Amino acid sequence: MQINKFNILETKNRIIADNDEVASRVRKDLSDKNIFFLNLMASPGAGKTTTLVRTINAIKDRYRIGVIEADVDSTVDAEMVAGTGVRVIQVHNGGSCHMDADMTLQGLEGLGLQDLDVIFLENIGNMVCPAEFDVGASCSAMILSVPEGDDKPLKYPLMFRVSDVLLINKTDTMEIFDFDQEALRKRVADLNPDCEIIPVSALTGEGFDVWIKWLTDRIESHRC
Amino acid sequence: MRIIELNKSVTASNDLDAEMLRGELKERGICLVNLMSSPGSGKTTLISRLIRDMNEEVPIAVCEADIDSAVDAERIEALGAVAIQVHTDGMCHMDAGMTRRGLEGMNLDGIRLAFLENVGNLICPAEYDTGAHINMMILSVPEGDDKPLKYPLMFEKSDVLVITKTDALPYFSFDTEKCVQRALALNPDLTIFPVSAKTGVGMDALEAWLKEQTFTN
Repeated sequence: MQINKFNILETKNRIIADNDEVASRVRKDLSDKNIFFLNLMASPGAGKTTTLVRTINAIKDRYRIGVIEADVDSTVDAEMVAGTGVRVIQVHNGGSCHMDADMTLQGLEGLGLQDLDVIFLENIGNMVCPAEFDVGASCSAMILSVPEGDDKPLKYPLMFRVSDVLLINKTDTMEIFDFDQEALRKRVADLNPDCEIIPVSALTGEGFDVWIKWLTDRIESHRC
Repeated sequence: MRIIELNKSVTASNDLDAEMLRGELKERGICLVNLMSSPGSGKTTLISRLIRDMNEEVPIAVCEADIDSAVDAERIEALGAVAIQVHTDGMCHMDAGMTRRGLEGMNLDGIRLAFLENVGNLICPAEYDTGAHINMMILSVPEGDDKPLKYPLMFEKSDVLVITKTDALPYFSFDTEKCVQRALALNPDLTIFPVSAKTGVGMDALEAWLKEQTFTN
């Protein structure tokens, strides 16, 4: 038997454990303040910002909303969201490929929690790393867009496992892409039977009645 | 107090491994292309098309990197090219050591063009030199023309940008001219090919360019 002559430091486990501690604090603090916090994840270009803008416009008369826009660079998304009139902060995370709980905490502090009922975090466009980091959200949502293909749960399983709801976006382009919705549903159910799947088009608004109903039910049960 | 810059030492040692791999492959007459993009922008479909069009003249091998599954490697093998599937065990990118292990798992006799299909991710793979001679990235039309603004490093590190799914242009508000301008503003040396791997439009130019990049023995 080979005996290790050195210690092995599993830094990743430690990083995740530290992150979980901060995330728990964020979650408790927001819960105490009666704020619903949603973490929105997806690949680049899946339609996070477009979905967010349509969602905000649908519920902004009912709830006071704040948004944290996380990007490696630029402010194009924050400008788009600011057009809805809600409070927005742009976070530049210095090239990092995901948001962790500490960056989120900084974003929340920058945004300010006063007079808010609902906060959305638009995570970095990435289907891998954001799934590993709990940001303290009340609910995790992910988007898979039709042009990306129905095989994605096979290749990026973790994000499908950690999400409470999956929006299949860009359904208006279904006819030009080879996307099998039934195959996708089965693949997601194999990974996460509790994940709600809602097909939408953020461009046309198709399916948004179902999504908004699901979301507002979640918000209400969280805030009561 | 001593401060260890972990990130720096990790990439420095990777850079050495990458440089060695690059030299060895060149000696064997193998040009390695590191193909990077978001999930679902059409990496496997593009490689499949290149194999169909070029494999007879320029023998191709493909190292498929994924967190899980073997669907991509199965697709490539079905086309008659040499292929291997690498599972990164949750890792979001390939580095030079992982690339070497992947290539060593294949019989590369007679191979002149090797593709590393990196993990679908527009961020992390750009930070790691894999030992490739060419960094090739894909941006697909449905992803949008604003991506150079939001993910600049990938555009800066790439030698060639392939804009795929151009057959879907009528369905998306994608301004090709604007996208090209934004990409060139980050990287003036970037070579850009708009293609549809599905219909074959634009593939001729990309294939001619790739042929020029291979090593003549």
